[in-house]
Amino acid sequence: MDLQGQKLSEHLMQILLVVFAIAAFTTGYMTGSFENMLLISVGGAVLTLLITVPDWSFFNRHPLNWLASQEAEQNPKPKLQPSPSKRFTKKTSSK
Amino acid sequence: MHSFWYRANALLTFAVTILALMCAMASITDHLNVPQPQADVQVSNINWFRKQPNGNDEVSLTLTISADLQSTFTWNTKQVFVFLAAEYETPKNSLNQVSLWDGIIPSKDQAKFSIQTTNKYRFIDQGSNLRGKEFNLTLHWHVMPKTGRMFADKIVMPGFGLPQEYR
Repeated sequence: MDLQGQKLSEHLMQILLVVFAIAAFTTGYMTGSFENMLLISVGGAVLTLLITVPDWSFFNRHPLNWLASQEAEQNPKPKLQPSPSKRFTKKTSSK
Repeated sequence: MHSFWYRANALLTFAVTILALMCAMASITDHLNVPQPQADVQVSNINWFRKQPNGNDEVSLTLTISADLQSTFTWNTKQVFVFLAAEYETPKNSLNQVSLWDGIIPSKDQAKFSIQTTNKYRFIDQGSNLRGKEFNLTLHWHVMPKTGRMFADKIVMPGFGLPQEYR
């Protein structure tokens, strides 16, 4: 799953669960049945699980393009320059 | 970090949180229901009335109990527990309650009933105060919800009396 896919998966999960919860509560209240509410919300959660948890192909439509290794050799990683660090400055006496 | 099990865990946590919220909302809708229950109890017969050897008064009654508690049922009601108590005053105690009969109503269909029964639990006074005693018959009920708060209410039916003499 690529980065865009992760974002999509999380949004889908939240939106679907909330939509199913609203549908479940409304149906349960209208039909006067607590069981209907539970069935719809649990069913919705299972459906959401099937949609957002497995690594489906539509979560992989934005693959990361890594630089080729040759190109990486031509642009070497900048070396760390030794910089004056405060740790090594002379201690001033304190009283 | 964003693995299969991470996603499954996040989904489960969010789903259960939402379910808890829905249950809380369901219990709030109970407050929208204004029940209008009705009850009527008749003492059809005083079977016997005696003084026990230890000095306590005991009476056996045949009761006709009719009630309509259907309006106490909502979509969030699991069952209704109902009991009939005799309530009277004695010099020592301002309120004596003796449970005479009880029942569990599991569904709305069975919430409208009319039964004739002798007292299920013995009507004994801890003392000898029942002769000529005026008493109330009170139908108490407890509405037990599937989620949320339990409600209790009662209907008091005054004007019952016991005979002056044992029989």
